[in-house]
Amino acid sequence: MKARDLMVPLADHLKPDNTIKEAVNLLRSAKRGEERVGVKGLPVLDAQGKLLGILSMGDILKAVYPFYMPMMNLGEFAWDGMVESLAKQAGDRLVETAMTKEVITVVESDSLMKCVDHMIKNKVQRLPVIDDSERVTGMVYERDVFFAIVRAMLQEGKGKEE
Amino acid sequence: MSAESSAVNQVVMGAPFWTATLLFVVAYALIVSEKIHKTVVAIFGASVMIVLGIVSQEEAFHSKELGIDWNVIFLLVSMMVIINIMKPTGAFEFIAVKSAKFAKGKPFRIMATLSVVTAVMSAFLDNVTTVLLIAPVTLLICQALELDVIPFLLTEALASNIGGTATLIGDPPNIMIASKAKLDFVSFLVNLAPVIVLILIVYILTIRLVFGKKLLVRDELRRRVMEMDERATLKDPVLLKKSLLVLAITITGFMFHGMLDLEPATVALFGAGLLLLLSGIKDPHHILAEAEWATLFFFMGLFIIIGGVVNVGLVKWMSMQVLNLTQGNLLGTSMVVMWFSAFASAFIDNIPYVATMNPLIIDMARQLWPDLSGLELLHHPDLMPMWWSLALGACLGGNGTAIGASANVIVVGLAEKAGKPISFGRFMLYGMPLMVESVIIATGYVLLRYYVLKI
Repeated sequence: MKARDLMVPLADHLKPDNTIKEAVNLLRSAKRGEERVGVKGLPVLDAQGKLLGILSMGDILKAVYPFYMPMMNLGEFAWDGMVESLAKQAGDRLVETAMTKEVITVVESDSLMKCVDHMIKNKVQRLPVIDDSERVTGMVYERDVFFAIVRAMLQEGKGKEE
Repeated sequence: MSAESSAVNQVVMGAPFWTATLLFVVAYALIVSEKIHKTVVAIFGASVMIVLGIVSQEEAFHSKELGIDWNVIFLLVSMMVIINIMKPTGAFEFIAVKSAKFAKGKPFRIMATLSVVTAVMSAFLDNVTTVLLIAPVTLLICQALELDVIPFLLTEALASNIGGTATLIGDPPNIMIASKAKLDFVSFLVNLAPVIVLILIVYILTIRLVFGKKLLVRDELRRRVMEMDERATLKDPVLLKKSLLVLAITITGFMFHGMLDLEPATVALFGAGLLLLLSGIKDPHHILAEAEWATLFFFMGLFIIIGGVVNVGLVKWMSMQVLNLTQGNLLGTSMVVMWFSAFASAFIDNIPYVATMNPLIIDMARQLWPDLSGLELLHHPDLMPMWWSLALGACLGGNGTAIGASANVIVVGLAEKAGKPISFGRFMLYGMPLMVESVIIATGYVLLRYYVLKI
């Protein structure tokens, strides 16, 4: 099985000059297959469809997380309402300031194992699939990789017969 | 050829002289330009000095006069190890939050308290370390109070440079001066701490004039600070007690190192070794790895480069020029040293500056009192004000600009990350007048204490 057999064709994407507020709205309502149930991350594309980055739920958490928090043990001192007020400020920031810029990508002909390899080594849950001109054609999700593994496991006996 | 054996007032300006001088000037220029990382410049420059035979490897590694000052290296690395072990205990978060609560959550009182705490901590720890321990809590507190964090970060950086001047271990220039001039911890404390206390008081009064009135906060926001539980971060009380014990032993050791005839580096190394042992850390790898090796190697390389220009007589030539300029008037020389050091340190790293000035002052002393040597020479009563002027000028001068001291660079970096960059000009607007103010006080002090009262 290859990336092309597994990928979900690209339906929604973000633009770098979207605000984070617009971005979370799209994340919440984006298409997953046929239904609009929301996704955990979306690619950020320029006008030509080239990949600039990816904005995921983790990036949204980071957008409200002050840079000085991990420098020391400060979680103990946070007050009620801190995240809420930071979220209001973060909402107006642009997607390009919050997205993950170093994105691991695959091409359609890459093997399933290469996808698994990327996901494990780089701790990512989704891989944009790009074509020769660096345009994103689809996404490989961890969940779909999982189902591919499940199918392989359950069809093991059948495979031997063939 | 060594500096000592060359004729008293003669410098041979041959090929080695010009080669070493060129290397020195190029290295200095590259360090100032920041085009290449200063540690890389120092290591490469040092290696070239040895390759060209301007200093031998034996001299570079083992000579007290021309080589790496291991006193400085071991003192720095040992203090870094102690702090790295202490950091996870939460003691520093405790101190900062406790200070803010002590100030009752009132903005200017928080600014003043944190500045004083930063100054006192900087007197015993590295300035950068202190700022990195106090600044994150400051950022959090300003977030809680919905205040602009810039004045707080600025005043802390400046306070850390002031406080660091007070003791032998407070700031690298002092460590270097102490090692070369063979001065002990108590001498630094007795000669520098009084004027630093005065400078700090005037400093706090000044920042009150500048920032005091602008800072107002609603009561509900103050409550956020008052409700912070500073004890919550003290996760490892056992390690904390051990750390405090070792810190107490180390500082007591510094107090008495002269009497015990132990170098400060020995005291610090003992402290680091003891805490490593007591903490029960199974694998010291990460504690040791977290020491700032780039800084330590910068020092090592620098010492060798300076050794080279001392060996060829450049430093001696420079000291002769200074003496010509001041015509042997020591009061004048000491004032020139203080003010020149202050402005030089405001624009260039005070570490290479002091590394150059130390041998220069010693050479000057040799020319003034050719019959003396050893401690009689280094501690000549007329020379002592020179050391204190150098220390005061080089340490306080760091406050002049955003690049004058490492603590300033750190604070500017943090402000930028917080989305509120401090421009070079804005830093100087506050830093330069405050630096000049402190050096004026220091000048009055040196004049009064060493030239009028002569105590």
